[in-house]
Amino acid sequence: MFNVTDVRRGGNRHAPAADDANLGDHHHEHHHHHHGRSRVVLGPWILTLVFVATAGVRYLGGWLDGDDVRLWSTLFVSICIQALPFLVLGVVVSGLIAAFISPDFVQRRVPKRPILAVPSAGLAGMALPGCECGSVPIAGRLVAAGTPPAAAITFLLAAPAINPVVLVSTAVAFPNEPMLVVARFLASFLAAIAVGTWWARRGSENLLDALKDDHDHDESRLERFVDVASRDLVHAGGYLVLGALAAATLQLIVPRSVLDSVVSSEVLSVLVLALLAVVLSICSEADAFVAAGLPQFSLTSRLVFLVVGPVIDIKLVAMHAGVFGRGFALRFAPVTLIVAVSSAVIVGQVLL
Amino acid sequence: MLLLSLGLVAAGLIRTGGYGWFVQQRMLWPLVFAAVVLVLLGTYEAVQGVRQELKVPDSKRWGVAPVVGWLLLLPLVVLIGVSPAGLGAAAAGRVEAFTPTDQTDTFGPLNASNGPVEMRVYDFLDRALWDTDESLDGVPVRLEGLVVNDERVPDGFMLTRFMVSCCAADGIPLQVAVRGVEAPLPNDTWVVVDLMWQAPEVPYAEAGGATIVEADVIGVTPVPEAPNDPYESPF
Repeated sequence: MFNVTDVRRGGNRHAPAADDANLGDHHHEHHHHHHGRSRVVLGPWILTLVFVATAGVRYLGGWLDGDDVRLWSTLFVSICIQALPFLVLGVVVSGLIAAFISPDFVQRRVPKRPILAVPSAGLAGMALPGCECGSVPIAGRLVAAGTPPAAAITFLLAAPAINPVVLVSTAVAFPNEPMLVVARFLASFLAAIAVGTWWARRGSENLLDALKDDHDHDESRLERFVDVASRDLVHAGGYLVLGALAAATLQLIVPRSVLDSVVSSEVLSVLVLALLAVVLSICSEADAFVAAGLPQFSLTSRLVFLVVGPVIDIKLVAMHAGVFGRGFALRFAPVTLIVAVSSAVIVGQVLL
Repeated sequence: MLLLSLGLVAAGLIRTGGYGWFVQQRMLWPLVFAAVVLVLLGTYEAVQGVRQELKVPDSKRWGVAPVVGWLLLLPLVVLIGVSPAGLGAAAAGRVEAFTPTDQTDTFGPLNASNGPVEMRVYDFLDRALWDTDESLDGVPVRLEGLVVNDERVPDGFMLTRFMVSCCAADGIPLQVAVRGVEAPLPNDTWVVVDLMWQAPEVPYAEAGGATIVEADVIGVTPVPEAPNDPYESPF
């Protein structure tokens, strides 16, 4: 029933090549997640180790108590805690997709032609009120369930940027600039569709290669749900932590005073705010307030900040690399950044 | 195992209210949801693991996770090991203070007949900056916040409260310069301040430069514990 996900070849990296020809055996190899790439057994041991390490850190606390260390850990922990509920919501949805949506269903429901599938996927993104962290595993499972990758990518970009919660918080943060909400919606939607179409044109690319999906065929739906949800959680969550590490560190290293020195040039301020959005990795529901706190910048450059942040930032690059593979993340990030910046600048020129 | 311990720590943070230092209060219910799902998933996996182990010894279902997954424990290590203390003076020095920009709010009159009027730091700044009726002028007001010593206020301190819309990483300081304080207080002391604002001779809009709202102190009382909700929400 879930056969489509098994088109992936060579998932068992240490298996002899001949195994690939014998798909029957191949399925058996996947049972109980035995295949060994980057898997670690003996969880309890690691847990013990971690708690010993924690005690060690505590003991060394004397010289770790500096202001900067504490501020760094506040930022790091708060990014993680803030993302946790959205990530959990995301993996619950992705588990449900894996357990209840068959490729047959997707084949029937999702329009075949990218020209229809891509915009409708963008609109579907409006229905998921959440941050960007949750939509990464969902997009991964949509692809695994047979959705055209271009549509899944459009969803991935649109969901965190144009959902109602984000638009309302933008309106609250900018009470005097109602057009900014419209501009944010339009620019984000256009960027999502543009990137999705770009991916559809490339066509040959097969995202499934990177999606680590393996399952027993005798699983019940509950088992499948729990399996997928917890695996996605551990996987995407690990990369989320990696991203939060980088974001917290950069927030501390890059002094905000840099911002004040570059306001004079419009081009420069667009570039600086685009980079700032990537570096800060702020949740899409909160970034409008940060943008409101930068009144020295023009509205268009702040629109760039709002459009870039939800689609690409350091935390997301780490998660994309984890869920879709490193190669994807490396090609996807620059294209998305350029498209988002141009879309925001164009919409900003017309509307603001 | 991994998910279970994550869930339990999240539950612990919710029970002690410790989450308030990291995220906005309205994140409570999403966090409860996450903790419940994590504990359920973790328990189910653990039970399945034990059953599998009994049926097929050495089946290695126990705690199988990709290496990167163990990074999930890092926040717990940092949380327990470094005991981060939330945003304070160190963070305030890094970010330009926020000034309310909403010019459309309408302000009612203030009634100080029962003692100083309690209000949020945001509302205080909002009235001081934008109320054309100057309802704040000469009215005793009570604010709660952190002491941040600042060279721009030689005879007092910056009363600071962070505005956090989602998590502490997006915190922006709201600051009122409290003047005329006799005994200096150390940074990051929580205080309740009674103060009085007087309309400036030169309106803020014409003064130019960074806007600092100043007020004269009436009384400062240090409080031992931070309030339940250490941050203000922009909503």
